[in-house]
Amino acid sequence: MASVSAIPVMSLDIEQMVASKQALRRRLAALPIAEKLHLLDAMRERAVAIRGVNHRQKIQAQEQPPDYGKKS
Amino acid sequence: MKIEEVIHTVNQMKADGIITNYAIGGAVGATFYLEPVSTLDVDIFIEVHTEPGSTIISLDPIFAYLRERGCKMEGEYVVISGWPVQFLPPTGPLIEEALAGAVEVDVEGTPARVFTAEYIAAIALQTGRAKDKVRLLQFIEARALDLPSFEAIVAKHGLERQWHQFQQFLL
Repeated sequence: MASVSAIPVMSLDIEQMVASKQALRRRLAALPIAEKLHLLDAMRERAVAIRGVNHRQKIQAQEQPPDYGKKS
Repeated sequence: MKIEEVIHTVNQMKADGIITNYAIGGAVGATFYLEPVSTLDVDIFIEVHTEPGSTIISLDPIFAYLRERGCKMEGEYVVISGWPVQFLPPTGPLIEEALAGAVEVDVEGTPARVFTAEYIAAIALQTGRAKDKVRLLQFIEARALDLPSFEAIVAKHGLERQWHQFQQFLL
């Protein structure tokens, strides 16, 4: 008879997953601002690395700027 | 790559009289109030000197100043410490007001001027791209907005229809 695996089973409880994600977001939001800015630096470095390392691709690794030109 | 160096450079531009005032907006501005939001550039809204009698705003002095300090231009961006930075003069009363009401935040001893959460949210509502709506939703879910202040800004700048639609579809 096969034995039951000791590997923890991933939770499929969606409510638990959502609560866990929200808690993580709250913890990240509560970090000191300097630490959050360091995280942005790290995320951008990773994004640039993913999109390509040569200069041309670096230029392309920019966002479409928003249209701030609308008059209210 | 260091955003703190971008902030330091912009503070120096202000000290040297290249710009009269500034405020950080966009995803970097939002990060002052929310969890870090991945972004590829930095939006710096600026007040600049204009020639007496002229209404034309030129960004040339900014670009010349930064070029002299070794920064490179990439399209409409200036690359400062590895970050593409876009300098944006105000294009309407909402952004003018946001600039005037920006707050100073201490980043490990360096002052940074940032739009208030309510103005970042109102600007997101006005620009209205999908990612801007996501940002507004993040502010609401995180309870990072003073809703009466936000709704006063929305009403003042004629964004009630967009706000009503946003509430109808996303809240």
